[in-house]
Amino acid sequence: MAAAASFFSQSVGTIHVCGCANSSGFCFGKSSSRSISNGFPIHVRLLGKRICSSSHCKLHVVRESNSCALMMDRVSSSSDSSIDNNGKRSIESALILIRHGESLWNEKNLFTGCVDVPLTKKGIEEALQAGIRISNIPIDVVYTSTLIRAQMTAMLAMTQHRHKKVPIITHNENEQANLWNQIYSKETKKQSIPVTPAWQLNERMYGELQGLNKQETAERYGKELVHGWRRSYDIPPPNGESLEMCSKRAVAYFREHIEPQLQSGKHVMVAAHGNSLRSIIMYLDKLTSQEVINLELSTGIPLLYIYKEGRFMKRGSPVGPTEAGVFAYTETLALYRQELDEMSQRTS
Amino acid sequence: MSAQVFHQAMGTLQSNRLLNNSGTHHELGNIRVQLIPKCFKLNIELSRNRNFRFGKKNFGIIQATASQTSVIESASSPSNHDTSDSKKKSNEAALILVRHGESLWNEKNLFTGCVDVPLTKKGVEEAIEAGKRISNIPVDMIYTSALIRAQMTAMLAMTQHRRRKVPIIMHNESEQARTWSQIFSEDTMKQSIPVVTAWQLNERMYGELQGLNKQETADRYGKEQVHVWRRSYDIPPPNGESLEMCAQRAVAYFKDQIEPQLQSGKNVMIAAHGNSLRSIIMYLDKLTSQEVISLELSTGIPMLYIFKEGKFIRRGSPAGPAEAGVYAYTRVCNP
Repeated sequence: MAAAASFFSQSVGTIHVCGCANSSGFCFGKSSSRSISNGFPIHVRLLGKRICSSSHCKLHVVRESNSCALMMDRVSSSSDSSIDNNGKRSIESALILIRHGESLWNEKNLFTGCVDVPLTKKGIEEALQAGIRISNIPIDVVYTSTLIRAQMTAMLAMTQHRHKKVPIITHNENEQANLWNQIYSKETKKQSIPVTPAWQLNERMYGELQGLNKQETAERYGKELVHGWRRSYDIPPPNGESLEMCSKRAVAYFREHIEPQLQSGKHVMVAAHGNSLRSIIMYLDKLTSQEVINLELSTGIPLLYIYKEGRFMKRGSPVGPTEAGVFAYTETLALYRQELDEMSQRTS
Repeated sequence: MSAQVFHQAMGTLQSNRLLNNSGTHHELGNIRVQLIPKCFKLNIELSRNRNFRFGKKNFGIIQATASQTSVIESASSPSNHDTSDSKKKSNEAALILVRHGESLWNEKNLFTGCVDVPLTKKGVEEAIEAGKRISNIPVDMIYTSALIRAQMTAMLAMTQHRRRKVPIIMHNESEQARTWSQIFSEDTMKQSIPVVTAWQLNERMYGELQGLNKQETADRYGKEQVHVWRRSYDIPPPNGESLEMCAQRAVAYFKDQIEPQLQSGKNVMIAAHGNSLRSIIMYLDKLTSQEVISLELSTGIPMLYIFKEGKFIRRGSPAGPAEAGVYAYTRVCNP
């Protein structure tokens, strides 16, 4: 059993991946968040029954065969080995972040904020594509904002998931809503993925700029002022939220409600907005306010983190099954993938 | 001018082949609502200003040219001849009803009720198809239930709409929700279609059957009992609603909130569920409880009514622009 470790760092820009003839694996593709100024080391240690190394690549590439999922362990820091020699596994959970795609006001170039604007046809496509990319990653619970564009993104993405569990939006807004959405079959509950909408995951509230276009806004307030609101960390537009204010409520919600799920081993997907997600990433990656301002999240491209022993490890963006990319996996994800493969073999 | 009347006993209306090259005109397709025991009368009265060609079938067909709009005054009863100037704008409003398509529990054959289950890929497509069919019908306001499958159906359908107005979901759940969703540009507001979500338009709440499959339910309660709950008018499943109870809250909401919009000339779309929509149709078409039990609504097929002078005139199901169908239009519906 050969083991190899290699790592690479990224200063600014995207990670280059080498080609990998991998028709069904989960691959570590390009990091789609640009301008990350931290060095970004990834340690990859390979174990397992099959290894195929490609000599002309910078990284050792692992090819997954259909019958056996490759087991591969990654090391979170050089001092800490996550699987000891007896194969005992510590709890890891997957965290997927998805920023919704194009909305009807994006298309019209209007400031949206918390106005509840739905997706365009393009935004719908982006959601479906995002779903294909995460179709092999386990999901136990979903969190969204209370805005339809994020909820639709989550629901559309989940139509692509292989596991066939059913997302169910939980209603708690009042006694009747709570009573009316009760499920009376244990079996059915087991096959459900609870979806919790939370206003704390909403887009940054843009106050009196909501509904205005850039021209109107520049005329009403002046160009420099508007630039200040859009690009500063702590200056809110009139009656709106600064990025700092948005961060506060988004990160507080994450720590209070979402992190405990991850701690208990649940795999979580969060479908939300540019500013609420950056805020969360600021917390996950320990970014400064300067760094978070420069952080741009691609729409519709899911970001994967692995949560383990209180730490969040960024895993880039899952690539669809036909795309080439670096194969970077954890044992848990590999086993999950194997289960899905077995399930579809049984039903086919 | 002539008025023609035709009857439909059971089954669907046969549509006539219509030579119509213009993609902008709206046509009546097959009426998809099956098993309607009542006769279905449609009176078409043609106004004076235009020339018409009549087809060989037993109802009149109006062919519109691209440059002119045809004017039809539809009368709900034969005694009401409105021969006033055809240019006078009548206070008519369009009402579109869309039942959402396949949900993930439909696929699994589970009783859904008010459990908030989303659409399948097929349901997503049904919504988009429905949108194409109504892409030429004006929509000023949208009402949906509080459940995602109806909301998504409405939003997906509207991506196909020609008008380019933007549906915006209204939030009223708290003071903050209201404040946070405010729009500060008048122009933008004018280009918006308010979407109101209402639990009163939810599917019939199925109580302790929610989440069960038909087998489990038959095992737990017995086949006959289950059949009664599903097919009676006024017997609710345990801790659930009867169709009557569902009708009560759906129709009350309709009369209270939606009808005034139609009265003021607003064109309305309702995206909801099998039982809440039947309840509304029961009110619109004045059906008996026996008739409403037999009423089956196709999923994803929009139904059009014209509201005029307090009356609801059923117009069947809009066909897409590429489909042939009976052409029956009113002035208001022409964009």
